[in-house]
Amino acid sequence: MTLQVETRTAIERARDRYPVARSAILPALWAVQHEQGLITPDAMSEIAGILQVTPSEVEAVSTFYSMYFQHPHGRHEVIVCINVSCALRGAEGIVDHLERTLGCASGETTADGAFTWSSTVECLGGCGGAPTMQVDHHFQENLTPDRVDQILGALRSAGSEGEAPASLSAAASGQDSDESPAQGSAGETPLTTPKEPAPTATSAPVVKKRPRRPGKAAQ
Amino acid sequence: MAEYKLLTKDFGAVGLQTLKGYERVGGYQGLRDAFAKFTPEALVAEVKTSNIRGRGGAGFPTGMKWSFLPKDVFPRYLCCNADESEPGCFKDRYLIDESPHQLIEGLLIASYALQVNISFIYIRGEYHDQRLLLERAVEEARAAGYIGRNILGSGFDCDVIVHGGAGAYICGEETALIESLEGLRGQPRLKPPFPAVKGLYGQPTVVNNVETLCNMPHIVQRGGAWFKALGTEKSAGTRVFCCSGHIKRPGNYEMQLGTPIRELLEEECGGIWQGRSLKAFQPGGGSMQVLLPQHLDLPLDMNAVQEAGSSLGAGAMIFMDETTCLVDVSMRLVDFYRHESCGKCVPCREGTYFESELMHRLEAGLATRAELASLADICSNMDGRCFCPLGDTATWFVMSAYKAFGDEFEAHCGAGRCPVRAQATALVA
Amino acid sequence: MTAVAETGTPPEQPDDGRVGISIDGRELRVPKGTLVLDAATEAGIHIPIYCAHPKMDPVAVCRMCLVNIEKFPKPQPACATVAGDGMVVRTDLPEVTKLREGMLEFLLLNHPLDCPVCDRGGECDLQDFTFRYGPGISRFPITEKVHFKKALPLSEHIELDQERCILCWRCVRYYDEITGEKEIVLQQRGVDTLVATFDDRQLESKFQGNLPEVCPVGALTHRKYRFVSRPWDLQRTASVCPECSYGCNINVDSRDFEVRRFASRDNPLVDDMWLCDRGRYSFDRWNSSERVRRPVVRSDDESRDVSVAEAITQAARRLREIADEYGAASIGVLGSSTSTNEELFLLERIARQVIGTPHVDHQLEPFEELSAAEHELGIAEIEDCDALVVLGAEPEEQAPVLTLRLYKAERKKGAQVIRMSGDVAVAEAVAAASGSTRIGLIADETNRAHAAEVAAALGAVGSVRRLTITRGINGRGAKDLGLLPNVGPAYASVSERGKNGRQILEGLAAGEMRGLLMLGPNPALEAAGDLLERAVRKAACVVAFDTRPGVVSRYATVLFPGHAVFEKTGSVTNVEGRVQRIRAGLPPASATPVETRVLTRLAGELGAVGWGSGDPLAVNRLLRDEFPAYGRAGNGGRAVFTAEAVA
Ligand SMILES: Cc1cc2nc3c(=O)[nH]c(=O)nc-3n(C[C@H](O)[C@H](O)[C@H](O)COP(=O)(O)O)c2cc1C
Ligand code: SF4
Ligand code: FES
Repeated sequence: MTLQVETRTAIERARDRYPVARSAILPALWAVQHEQGLITPDAMSEIAGILQVTPSEVEAVSTFYSMYFQHPHGRHEVIVCINVSCALRGAEGIVDHLERTLGCASGETTADGAFTWSSTVECLGGCGGAPTMQVDHHFQENLTPDRVDQILGALRSAGSEGEAPASLSAAASGQDSDESPAQGSAGETPLTTPKEPAPTATSAPVVKKRPRRPGKAAQ
Repeated sequence: MAEYKLLTKDFGAVGLQTLKGYERVGGYQGLRDAFAKFTPEALVAEVKTSNIRGRGGAGFPTGMKWSFLPKDVFPRYLCCNADESEPGCFKDRYLIDESPHQLIEGLLIASYALQVNISFIYIRGEYHDQRLLLERAVEEARAAGYIGRNILGSGFDCDVIVHGGAGAYICGEETALIESLEGLRGQPRLKPPFPAVKGLYGQPTVVNNVETLCNMPHIVQRGGAWFKALGTEKSAGTRVFCCSGHIKRPGNYEMQLGTPIRELLEEECGGIWQGRSLKAFQPGGGSMQVLLPQHLDLPLDMNAVQEAGSSLGAGAMIFMDETTCLVDVSMRLVDFYRHESCGKCVPCREGTYFESELMHRLEAGLATRAELASLADICSNMDGRCFCPLGDTATWFVMSAYKAFGDEFEAHCGAGRCPVRAQATALVA
Repeated sequence: MTAVAETGTPPEQPDDGRVGISIDGRELRVPKGTLVLDAATEAGIHIPIYCAHPKMDPVAVCRMCLVNIEKFPKPQPACATVAGDGMVVRTDLPEVTKLREGMLEFLLLNHPLDCPVCDRGGECDLQDFTFRYGPGISRFPITEKVHFKKALPLSEHIELDQERCILCWRCVRYYDEITGEKEIVLQQRGVDTLVATFDDRQLESKFQGNLPEVCPVGALTHRKYRFVSRPWDLQRTASVCPECSYGCNINVDSRDFEVRRFASRDNPLVDDMWLCDRGRYSFDRWNSSERVRRPVVRSDDESRDVSVAEAITQAARRLREIADEYGAASIGVLGSSTSTNEELFLLERIARQVIGTPHVDHQLEPFEELSAAEHELGIAEIEDCDALVVLGAEPEEQAPVLTLRLYKAERKKGAQVIRMSGDVAVAEAVAAASGSTRIGLIADETNRAHAAEVAAALGAVGSVRRLTITRGINGRGAKDLGLLPNVGPAYASVSERGKNGRQILEGLAAGEMRGLLMLGPNPALEAAGDLLERAVRKAACVVAFDTRPGVVSRYATVLFPGHAVFEKTGSVTNVEGRVQRIRAGLPPASATPVETRVLTRLAGELGAVGWGSGDPLAVNRLLRDEFPAYGRAGNGGRAVFTAEAVA
């Protein structure tokens, strides 16, 4: 697979802006993921060619950062923060709700390919509006199960009409500006009651590991 | 004292995100003043006079940091650290969302002081909309002659590049940020040499936090002495505190330094929610040690909080009410560090893994007392041994919580479940 | 200053470029810039390390070397901390012991305890340090370690066992800093970090064999050494790599009379501890059982195995007969670039002084306009050049480790490496090197004439020193010792120019020449193919030394079993004139005395007197006495010949 002309041009433009070409690796990976939805070895080789580095260096970089994927994701990316501030305000309930309504576990993609959702321990920076998630890179705050349903429902219906752009869509901006009040809106979410630990936690300590890279290691 | 709006004074003004709106409230006057009233050296001196300390976490005096750059070595670079990923922190996002031009103005003032011709804003990958906002603002500023060649006829050239990260907390550490900006894995660099001497592309480099830079237009316009008088002797100015957790009104509040924490909690945040009481709080983000209700009367002063055994860090306040399980909170933080460890050094890479496995067992009530004891020992084997502060700080909250809430930790051992949650559930039922 | 004097502080040490440091109470002075780790080694204090490597920049990632330094709030990595004046370092405190235990406990969390089946067992730093400094037990509650597929082939040479990897970054830095190829990189992050190649592709480097040596554990291993031996069962002999003229130092590790591996032996002036794969993995060729084992004497109708003594007598008698009948000039003498200096020294003397023939060579084609200047640049001196012009691909193909030295000069010293085609126009080379003041010009021997022209032209740009890649393990020795028709030993001129190798063979084949004395094996002559066969069949007398059955051994009239490089002692000279010892690492394949002894006795039978026993070391002494350049070089130094161009 070769990169589209616009993507190549974007990478070349980025390369020419920086004092040193390899600084454009991150922007280049973004451009590729924006176009293709994931980062493939072919694309990494192409980036390497444009930026005059080795493909191995590009792979070393792309696997370091958690926002680049090596595997295809759904059309929409849903990431729920489960770090302290969100956890204190009921993130676990949101996680349970997503798991139930989307019918797949964190890190997985729904059967219809519409959503890939995951919970992250990397604080998203939305603690003022906890619990928080990001949908296609836009903040969605002060979540309740109902709000989650609304948000996902809106995306589903939009997606069924026209092909919704993949993650990092440039189109979707401003849509949530009214949702993020200046100082993080006050308000108590209904998800305040600490819940019985999820069944997984009682049976065995489960740490959701980032899957070790499949490939040579796994086969 | 209480809330004091310096950086956030105009927030909420119509169209503040645009150049026009920003200029309407006097925007870019600081930059004009900088060119008109200061030589670069004088500007560094003025910032020194202001006594401002970095808002990124370490609290290093900014003027002093700037004066470390070796003379006559060019090019130099300035990186604005907008990687904000400290658990509990969301002030930089707020500052960018509300007034992107204030940051750009501050960045340009600092660039002028440091004689930097290319500055970078390294913004975390998750702040996608904020990056777009900044990129638009940079283009506007460029079109208006605030960025580019011969800015406002001053003879000073400066370009600004907004660089998006891609999901790595460690890239907030200044040398990791530099590596990442160079197109490498974001792993911290061996020091010395320090960035001031050999940083980005091997050149002298300054890394400053968003909030630090946002103060610059105000320091230039009102003077370093005025700024110094604000706040306390050791902690000048205001800070934007990110308040979250079990409070009625979570959000960002700009406070004059020196204000008692209690005032922030009770007056701005509306106190603890649901009529409950405070059990513990973390005053500086996920890395910092836990403080207790008796510490509420401490002033918001970097030194005072340090003396109490914690730190104001990046200005995140996480409040926890009486139902909170400190083991659970510790476990979440430890998971965060495990996920965010860059993997460079052994104690951080393996230690956070070890810690998190133990914490999960503990929180599930499966750990033995011996395991709990080994947790403390593992932490002592990590703290102070790691390559960069990430690994060290991965132990701070857990250890302080264990010290303050030892009973709670011990009650988890062999309990088969989390006793605190169980109790809370019973209470509600 | 005066205040200090008044308080009685001892006067400051004069600045001798050194700093005083105390380690565990031992005081020593070390050069400024010395790392605490190296200072400790000098003081005889062991500090365990994993990531530190003498040839790589410190990264301080394994944290195994942390030590206590007074006035520092935290333990500091000895591998990355520069010794400061007055520094007080402690490695013997309980806190240091504890942190080492802690670090080992971390390292073993995910490390399989498969030492009994690991090829590294017995020479593994993790195993060693765990015994020496380890905690003894692991408190990790999870017994399930992270598992990977074991022993993944990364190429035909290298296997990677990721479970054993301790992420010391050495392999990654090797590819980054030493070869520049970046084939192995880090992927993922945190506890998921692993070393891997791009898209799991195979390694292509010509220098993979160094990986198992840089890896401190058994994560990277040689496929050719898989389950072969334990280090304590190996017999180790210091020698020189036989594959090319660069002269990389090696250890020959053998067991049960077979070579099991070549290991690098650091010589900073030559190999800088790296070997190329061609050299490293050539070891099993030396285990060939196909050998010439007994002296043979042939006449027209018979071929007999004889004693050495008889073979020598016969050889002398037949050579004398030829000389008497057809003149000494009807005998050709051929050395070989695989022979030792001692053998070549004796052979040249036999040819020119005992037999009295001018027809001496060691290869087919002549070296015209030979000049010592073509060997002026030393290998380590490559780093002193600011521009390095390499003519053609041959130099780096013939002596691959040269590439690593060039990269080092580029990376560490900022030298410009200019690779040009072998026949590049002189003007183009001059243009490329313009702006440089110290130029190194590197060529191979097929390109000597053109290199001389380029060198002359580059002289206008800056000072030029040349390095010429010679052939075979001792092509340089053959050149220096005058195994050439037009040049005598030490580049002395000869009174009469003799025939070169090809002319000698042609002369023999045509019946114009009658006798041949030759040392083998000689790959250069073998390249002559049919001509060689015609020559040895036609010649009236062929006295030959050879190791393996072939054309020469089939037709030689007197055949002596030769000794392979690792069966004999002596010295060989590398491209830059460095004279290095080789030692017997294997028992000889035949009971015949070594070549130097046979040659000495042959010379005696031919009438020479006072040549001594022929013991290689004794011959070496003669050689040094005769040529002061060798005397000065000693063992391991460079023999420098200043004689200018000779005909
Ligand atoms: C693990 C780690 C993460 C950090 N993250 C951030 C960050 O997200 N934002 C920030 O401004 N500083 C962060 N810092 C602090 C920076 O290293 C640096 O001190 C700061 O950007 C300097 O700016 P200042 O002097 O204006 O505070 C972090 C430090 C560490 C060790
Ligand atoms: S494979 Fe060996 S050399 Fe490479 S990082 Fe792992 S332990 Fe170190
Ligand atoms: S040897 Fe010093 S940190 Fe690894």
